[in-house]
Parts: sequence; structure tokens; C-alpha cells
Amino acid sequence: MGNKQTIFTDEQLDAYQDCTFFTRKEILRLHGRYHELAPHLVPMDYTNDPDVKLPLALIVNMPELKENPFRSRIVESFSEDGEGNLSFNDFVDMFSVLSETAPRELKAIYAFKIYDFNTDNFLCKEDLEKTLNKLTREELTPEEVVLVCEKSIEEADLDGDSKLSFADFENMITRAPDFISTFHIRI
Amino acid sequence: MSLFPGGGVALGKLGLTEEDIMDEIESGKRDLVKELVAMSSREQIQAIRVLPMCLEDKKHIRSQVHDSKLSKHGLQLTCFTDCSEQVSRSFRRCGANVVSARQAMKLWQGTMKEVGGKFGTSVLSYFIFLKWLLMFNVFSFLINFGFVTVPQLIQPPNKTAAVGFRGLELLTGAGYFNQTVLYYGGYSNGTIGNEPVYDMQLAYFFTIAAYLVLCAVSLIYSVARSFQKNFVLSTTGSAWRLLCSWDFSITSEKAIRQRKNNLRVQLKESLSERSQRAHISTSAKLKQFGIHLGTWLISTALALASCAAIYYLGLYNLEVIKDSQDSISLLTEASTLLLPFVVSLINLIIPLLYSLINKTEKYSNPRTQIYVIILRNVFLKMGILGILCYYWMYNVPTTISCWESFIGQDLYRLVIIDFIFSMLESFFGEFLHNVIGTRCLPSLGVPEFDIARNVLDLIYAQTLAWIGIYFSPLLPLIQMIKLFLMFYLKKVSLNQNCQPPRRSGRAAQMQTIFIALLFFPSFVGALSMVAYTVWSLKPSEHCGPFQGLNITFEAVALWMDRQGSVSESMWPVWIYNNVIKSELFFYLISLIILVLIFFFWQITQGRKLLITLLREQIVNEGKDKAFLLDKLQKLQKEKQTTASSQRPYRQIPQSFDRRQEIEPDYDQDFEDLPGRPLPEEDTGPVGPPFTSALIQAMMARRQAEEEEEEGY
Repeated sequence: MGNKQTIFTDEQLDAYQDCTFFTRKEILRLHGRYHELAPHLVPMDYTNDPDVKLPLALIVNMPELKENPFRSRIVESFSEDGEGNLSFNDFVDMFSVLSETAPRELKAIYAFKIYDFNTDNFLCKEDLEKTLNKLTREELTPEEVVLVCEKSIEEADLDGDSKLSFADFENMITRAPDFISTFHIRI
Repeated sequence: MSLFPGGGVALGKLGLTEEDIMDEIESGKRDLVKELVAMSSREQIQAIRVLPMCLEDKKHIRSQVHDSKLSKHGLQLTCFTDCSEQVSRSFRRCGANVVSARQAMKLWQGTMKEVGGKFGTSVLSYFIFLKWLLMFNVFSFLINFGFVTVPQLIQPPNKTAAVGFRGLELLTGAGYFNQTVLYYGGYSNGTIGNEPVYDMQLAYFFTIAAYLVLCAVSLIYSVARSFQKNFVLSTTGSAWRLLCSWDFSITSEKAIRQRKNNLRVQLKESLSERSQRAHISTSAKLKQFGIHLGTWLISTALALASCAAIYYLGLYNLEVIKDSQDSISLLTEASTLLLPFVVSLINLIIPLLYSLINKTEKYSNPRTQIYVIILRNVFLKMGILGILCYYWMYNVPTTISCWESFIGQDLYRLVIIDFIFSMLESFFGEFLHNVIGTRCLPSLGVPEFDIARNVLDLIYAQTLAWIGIYFSPLLPLIQMIKLFLMFYLKKVSLNQNCQPPRRSGRAAQMQTIFIALLFFPSFVGALSMVAYTVWSLKPSEHCGPFQGLNITFEAVALWMDRQGSVSESMWPVWIYNNVIKSELFFYLISLIILVLIFFFWQITQGRKLLITLLREQIVNEGKDKAFLLDKLQKLQKEKQTTASSQRPYRQIPQSFDRRQEIEPDYDQDFEDLPGRPLPEEDTGPVGPPFTSALIQAMMARRQAEEEEEEGY
């Protein structure tokens, strides 16, 4: 309100504020974080919407994402080309969906995208197996992995097509009250 | 293409051209913009925020909505709409600034983030619970101070022989503090001021009653909401553990490694649970039952023994005090600390014994183990508080003259000594454990932050504060300071000494249980005790705001009589006489509530039936969908074979080529899985905004168009 900043115009900040769950100050702070990932690539002046994308390798080294087992999938799901190259808009979008105030339905959509490794809009057995391996550091035997995935599909699959569609996933999420607080990255 | 996450590809496989896909997306966007324009500003913003598109598309839609809104209003009102736009925009900016300022001022925000990042959400829930209790006490202190203490400070009552300040007062609360506004005895029963008259009796009674009623409402609301969210609708099992239980907010490598280990262990346990259940023989079951019975007997015996010990110690204490009523020597005053000391010692040692006993038992479900420990600890603590209340209600009023102040002092001492013991507990339990675990006995390991024990300690402390409101109106201030210091103490201890919890527990369910425990034995117990004091005990003769009355509630009765004789205000008197004093009203209310409960129970039963029926319906719909898609694919194939045998039309060369490319895939898949839906069909849900029904409709429309062309 009182401080003059020249990174964004007021209209741009308004647009960001209306389209994400962040306030102006947080967006400026996010820009600072984005800038420090690659100071020579990211301009300080965003008033004319420069087209700058940072590669996957830079983003997954952020302290908030570095240890997360799903870091590559998270960044890929929010990138437009699916390869993990994030523009500043994608960057803000990612942290906005993962913030505390985002509603459960929106988080469920992106969680589904993240767990869908082969991007076929279903969580098939291979997707679940990959998820499980990422979560247990591959210390379960292959039979156990198969058993767990089969059990999961059995529990969550409602329409009987032996894979989880978004509707099945969303149904499970509505019955997991912890989800909003666990699907949350602080920045 | 972002409205369709991956859906454009799916549509392409159906044989639709790129132009068709773009058309559909554009018309979808236009409908969305139309919907948004119809909403109010705030709803618009909410709706835009929740759209599952990338940020550029959202900004694009937002600007389209603005443009279409402007064009709707027309040119005449441009100036007016411009102004109103500016005004509303500046309001929104102001509002956002207020929100961010409030967030910056929120107590302990940074610390909570740090703790959540290193230790996970379940440990964080302890700190959130502490902050919530702090709010209760702040509110209590503010209204007590404002409505009861401040008027009294303006016109203090006459003090009898004041004792000088000796340092011991801070611990015992007696002596110098005895006649101050800290306790019940420091308040007069008169009125303050001349016109209008501020009646201290009514002020004291109604302030405390109002606070307790508000507390009750807030607690009931929290318990109900929490229960609905976390118990009724929740699920468990492999799918949940795999997909919903991972905590994304943890950033420390050690914590994550540990979580992965936990998850692996839990999955292995749940896999082996199935096989183990069948293998327990009868003798083993009997043995387990015997062990359970034994441990329950031991824990109950320990609890009863502690209660008896405290009761007799209290009686002994009373004897000592009674003898030296007027001139209390330093030694006697110090000996009053014996009772709180013993109580806190019991609270420290017996839970340790309980967890030792618990280790010898075997539970099939690890959650049952935690519940059993919590239950035993609750029995112990509530037993201690119960026996103390009994001692205060029956033995103290008959022996001591200004007995409310005495109870207030007892509570003050309990609170202070409890705090000192918490500090010692942190030191011994966590710091020394850490030192021993890392240097001397590595097998002991680094201590974990025991959430259940710490939360139960908080609940116990809060119960003391709630009981003490009537006897010591400023006790919430002491409790506030205590909670404030506890926060920092626990945070430091956590960071230095503890490791993240090994069991990634169901934090939300534990949260509900803790809030329920805070309401049921804790608050209800405190409320019952205060209610019993107000309605049944005779206030002390020579001190306090209710001196000279038969029971405290008589103050209200007398006031109502006074009001009744003044004929101006009839309705409060009418309400008092016919609603609060009459029993018929309460019978009627109870009856109506019972009928409502029965009614809602029937609704619940009906809903359960509905859920099973709907589940079956979903399965049937899935089968129908598979069948229909199968049929559509077959029809598609037939069309292509008939079309390829005729001259290709100019209009559809592109789509024809595209279908040619994809043809082989379909054949292959058809051979592999006869009669089952293709895994590659992808005509299923492509994303929330567009359903498979729409795609099937589009396909049907396309077929109809082609048939028209052919016919033509």
C-alpha cells in the first residue's frame, strides 16, 4: 500500500490476487524466491510479461521441494508443456494450489494429476506401484507391492473397472479429513 | 488445451479433428464466462480461484469477464461503472491488506510453520490446541477483569489486618495476596457508584455465568464439527494410506526418511494382519484376556490409591491450617504446598507406570493401544480432580471461615506447582533422555514427543483454571502466563531433544478425541462443581460478594423480587418466575429434544440404506458405460470400413487420415481384451469440466453429421 515496487503493475498484482490464494505481499515474496533460483535469467521487471521459464532441475532444488518424493511429478503437473518448465505464472499457480487456503476439490484435481504418472487420467496399477515405490524407498518386495496396489484398487474402485478414475479418487478424498492439511507446502 | 488435461489427445483418438476440439473448448469457455458474469464480484473471484486451469487462462477468463461486464452496461454508464470499479477494487485491496496485516500479527505463525515442517501435522496439532486454550483464557481474563475487578478496584472494600509481602506468596498465593482482588474474598457485596448503581453481587454472578455459557457453546460446536469431519466421514485402509496420508509439508530429510520407514512398517503390518488373525489359539486368547484384566486392575488400583492418599493428605492439611487460622507462620504456609506437590508428583509418576504396564500388553490394533493409555490417564486425572472437588465441597466449608478464598489459594498453588513440574518433566523426560539416549545407551534412542501425554496435561491444567474462575477471578491471568511460557518451553525442548513421531497417526481423529475430552470430563466437571457451589453451598459469612445469603443464587432471586416490586420491567421477572424456576418447562424441553433425537436417528438409518443403493447404482452405471463405449467403437469401425470402400469426401480427408493412423491400435487392443473395455479408450472422464457423457454426445452428433453428408 505505501511502498513503491516496480516489479509488477497494479493491475497485474490485482489479477494475481484475484486468481490465486495469495496476497500482494506474498506474490512479491514469491517473485523474490523465483528470482533467486536463477538471478541472471529472471528479470526484476515483470511489467511487460517476459516469457521466462525455469527448467525442472532448478525448481526441484528449492528447499521446500528438495526432499519431497514427488517433486518432479509436482512440477511437471503444473507446467504447461508437461516437462517441468515453469514460468512465473505456473510457479505461483503451483504454490497457490498447495497453500493452506486452497479448497479440497482443487487440491484433489491436482493430487490426481500428480499421482497419474502416465497421464492417462486414470490411476492404474502401474501408477499406484510407482507411487508406492516412491513412498517406501523400494524396500517392499515386489509381491508386497502388487498386493498393496491390488488392495488399494479393491478398496477405492467404485465402478468396477479395476483402475481409479477421478471420481473414485475424489470420493476417497472427501472421506480423508487430513488431506487438506497434508497436501500443503509452506512457502 | 488446458481445460482438458490430456483430453485433447483422447478426443483425437475418437476421430475428431483439431478444429472440432478447439471449437468445443472455445464454446466451453464462453459458457464459463457467461456464468461468471452473472455472479457477484466476490463470488466471481472465488469461482475464478477454484478453476483448475493454468494461471494464464484464468487471467484471460478474468479479463474477458471484465470486458463483457463493461460492454453489458453500455456506454452511457461508463463513467459510473468506472468509478464503482475503482471503488470496489480499492476496497478489495484494502481488505487484502487487512487480511495480510492480521496474518502477520497472528500469534506464533512463524514458529508453527517451522514445527510443522520439521515434525509433521500431528505434533503441530498440540501447539494449535495450546493456542486455542490460550484464547479461552484471554477472553475469560478480559471479561473478568473488565466487569468484576475494575469496578472493585475503584472502590475497594475495607481490609482487615493486612499481612506484609513475603516472597513465599508467589508460590502459595496466601498471605499478602489473601485479601486482594485475586480471590473471592477480596470482593465486596455492596454496590459501586450512586446513579446508576453497579451491583457487585450480580456482576460477579452474571459475568462468570455468561463466560461459562459461552465456553459451553463454543466447545459443543467445536466437538460436533470436529466429530462430523473426522469420524463420520473418514476412512482407513491401504488406499488411504497410499494416496492420502503422505505429508507434503515436511521438509527435513531425516523426518522424511523416518516417515517412509513408518509407512513401510505400517503397510507390512496391515498385510500380515489378515493372515495373523486366523492363527490365535484359544489358550493364547485366554492369556491375553488375563493380561488385560490384570493391567486394568492394577491401573485402577493405582488410581484409587492415589485418590485416597490425596484425600487424607488434604484432611491433614486442613487440620494444620485450622489450628493456626489467624497468625499463619511461614512454616505453616509452606506446608500448604505439600498437597499440590504430592498431586503433581502423582501426575508425573503414575502415567509413566501406565506406559510401562502398557508395554507388556499386546494389542491387535495400535490405535487401541493409544486409546487405552489415554483412557487410563483420563481416569487418573479426573479421579484426582474429583476427589479434590469432593474435599473442597464437603470438608473445607465447614472448617475454614473464608473458605472460597482458601479454595482459590489451593487452586493457585496447584496451577503454579503443576507448571514447575511441567518444566521439570521436560527437563528429565526429554533433555536427559536425549543425552542418555545419544551418549550412554544408544538402544534407548532419542525421545519422541509424546502428544497424548502433553495434551492431557494441558486439559488437566485447563480444568483447574475453569474450576478456579468462581473462586479466583484473576486465575485466568496466571493460566495465560503459564500457557504462554509452556509454548516456548515445549518448542525449545522439541527442537533440541525430540525426533518426529514414529507413527504417522490419524492426527485429525486424535484432535477430535482431545476436544471431546476437553468438553466432557473437563469442562462439564468444572461446570458441575461451580454449579453445585452456586446452588447448594452456603457462602461464607464474612467475606466475599455473597456474604450473608443462604445460597449464592439467592442474589438473583432477591434481585428479581426487587424488580418485581418496581412495576416497570415485568418481562424479566415473568421469564424468571415461569421459565427458570418452573420444572414443567424443563420437562417439556427434554421431551421435545428426545423426540428430535429419535427423528434424526431414523433419518440416519434411511441415509445409510440410500448409500448402499447408490453404490450398487455406480457399479451398474460403470458396466453400462463400458457396454455403450464398446458398441460405439464397433459402430465406428463399421463406419470406417464402409467409408474406405467408397470415394473419400472432400470435407473429411483430414479426419479420415487421422483415423487411419489410430486404426491399428484399436484392432490390437480389441484382440487382446475381448469383451472388456479398452484401457486405451480414454473416452472416460477427461477432467472435471467435461464428462464422458458429453464426449459420447459429441460422437453421436458427429455421426449424425456424417450421415447427413452421406445422405446428401
